[in-house]
Amino acid sequence: MARLVVETRALTKTFGVTPVLREVGIQIHDGRCALLIGGNGSGKSTLLRILAGLSQPTSGDAIVFGENSRNLNVAGRRRIGMLTHQSWLYPNLTARENLAFYAELYGLADQNDLATKWIESVRLGASANDRVREFSRGMEQRLSIARAMMTEPDLLLLDEPFAALDPDAVAIVGDLIRTAVARGCAALLTAHSQLDLGIEMDRYQIASGRVMPLRDETRAPHRSRMGA
Amino acid sequence: MKIETYPPTPSPEVEGEKNRNMKNKATAGLGWSTLISMLVSLFMVFEWVPTEEDQGIVQRIFYFHVPCAWVAFAAFGIVAIAGVFYLWLKDQIWDDLGYAAAEIGMVFCTLVLITGSIWAKPIWGTWWTWDSRLTTTFILWLLYGGYLMLRAMADDTPEVARFGAVIGIVAALDVPVVILSVRLWRTIHPAVLVTRAGEHGLEDPRMVITLLVSLAAFTVLFGWLLMLRFQQLRTRSRLFTIRREVALIEAAAQDY
Amino acid sequence: MAAFAAILRKDLRLEIRSGQSTIALFALSLLIMVVLVFALNPQPVDRARDAAAALWVALVFAGMLGATRAMIAENENGCMRALTLSPIDPAALYAAKLAAAFAFMAIVEVAAVVLITLFFNLDFGGDLARLTPSLMLGTLGFAALATLLAAISSRTRAGDLLLPILAIPLFIPAIIAGVKASEAALSGFPLAAASQWLGILVAFDVLFVTLGALLFEHVIRED
Repeated sequence: MARLVVETRALTKTFGVTPVLREVGIQIHDGRCALLIGGNGSGKSTLLRILAGLSQPTSGDAIVFGENSRNLNVAGRRRIGMLTHQSWLYPNLTARENLAFYAELYGLADQNDLATKWIESVRLGASANDRVREFSRGMEQRLSIARAMMTEPDLLLLDEPFAALDPDAVAIVGDLIRTAVARGCAALLTAHSQLDLGIEMDRYQIASGRVMPLRDETRAPHRSRMGA
Repeated sequence: MKIETYPPTPSPEVEGEKNRNMKNKATAGLGWSTLISMLVSLFMVFEWVPTEEDQGIVQRIFYFHVPCAWVAFAAFGIVAIAGVFYLWLKDQIWDDLGYAAAEIGMVFCTLVLITGSIWAKPIWGTWWTWDSRLTTTFILWLLYGGYLMLRAMADDTPEVARFGAVIGIVAALDVPVVILSVRLWRTIHPAVLVTRAGEHGLEDPRMVITLLVSLAAFTVLFGWLLMLRFQQLRTRSRLFTIRREVALIEAAAQDY
Repeated sequence: MAAFAAILRKDLRLEIRSGQSTIALFALSLLIMVVLVFALNPQPVDRARDAAAALWVALVFAGMLGATRAMIAENENGCMRALTLSPIDPAALYAAKLAAAFAFMAIVEVAAVVLITLFFNLDFGGDLARLTPSLMLGTLGFAALATLLAAISSRTRAGDLLLPILAIPLFIPAIIAGVKASEAALSGFPLAAASQWLGILVAFDVLFVTLGALLFEHVIRED
């Protein structure tokens, strides 16, 4: 019986008087992958931030791991892995130092080994000792994904994970996401258009602040297979 | 297992007639009380109370100077307490109260410094002196200024009320340390002063009564001004909530 | 606890890597003191007082810049959000940031003390040792204050102007007590002579470290 990891109830968010999210109601269960499709400025990133407790809803609630996102406690935060448009990486530290730092921050053991392992899983092994400020956008994105997934979270919030990635990288990341979902992680991905990970996904579309479920087969004008 | 949820967006308060009337009555009541108590106080200060021997007529400013100081410090306390409630209860009404108190308090703090200056000139021959009370009040004035500058410069960030609350609390708790350090500073190097008719210098009981009446009058004045400003800020907050509600409804109308 | 150490180590490492900010901070302290030397034109009889004054002016202004820079670095790639999301207690996060700020300021101050000894013709030795408590307490207090305030000012427009406007009035009691204690130390008085001033510094530090730890979570939270 799949457990509910994320549930939003009439979640509304306004910036000033401008509505960004309106009465959003979604559910994400563990071991499931959800995809949220929307254009720029449609509120995808805002929704993810609210789920992570980094932003507060104007009204309504987001329940994550059974807690209200407004009061997400330490235990809950530990189980979240997040990717945003900002990389959350320190430009003057090397890739390995960055990941080792986050590993230590999250209380994981063998930080250096763990960092190395994840750096290699996104094929950045050759640049492990280079400073992040020298990385290309795609490399930074891959490293940031590694950072998010390294802590083996139970909830993955990935904002446009495939943006700025070349097809090889796309395949790698797709693999990592599939693996995480297979071990029981709940994942919420956002994207500009439909994508196919080779696994069953709960698809939603966000427009004008409202989130509507999408049927899988019916509307897929731009579909890209992500190397299943 | 009960999951803690928050109440839905409060619908814009359609103020009942009754509520509005009560508020207007309270404000009016404060206004009239201010007028009467001020008139009484003015009479007492200028006509009734005897002139102090050492300092002459100028000493009467003391009956305005001290109450202003009391209000300035009390208002600051209100800013801090409102800040605590805002951080705890997250209700905008506490921020409106704190901000109003800061604005009004700043006015009275400025008056303390001005009246202090006017008093200092004839008595000590100088417009300003770094005695412990004036120095502390000046620092309070700077703290007020910082709070108001923050509100002005952060008015476009959604967290402005939260920042204000934190600064209000921090500043209010700093004040005792300020008082302590300034007092110590001044006992080591006392400024050349004549003892002011403050603590023990009120020989005539009429002076004490006049001071108390003046304190009461200024407190009521402060209450009235605070109420007026607070109501303004409340209206602004309510207007914001209404506009937000309208925007949400308009967006919903577009769905169809 | 591990998280605290991780953040502190990370900040120190970052600072060593981009070493120019500590050096620039030191240069700034040096120049502030040069200005004060020419402005005060110190006579031997006043040197303890002038040296104490110069030291604390440099402390305040250099500290202010240091605190701002620390916060800007964290905001660069959104790392502050990563820290907020991470399973660290906000008070521990504050403590780590405070420790880093204190470390940077302390380094700059050691250099500043060497400078004032030269500029104001003081004696190396007992006087400087007696100077340490007031200086360290003052640095701790300022670091505590600035870490909290910089989290606010870095998210406000013209924040680098706002920080001194907020910080200096709040820091005044520590300036009063610190300069007096420093002056006593440099004049050759034993520490006990300045005990009241040191007591005020201790009270200030306790107050602001506590307030910072309690209020930091409210300040980093986004609405």
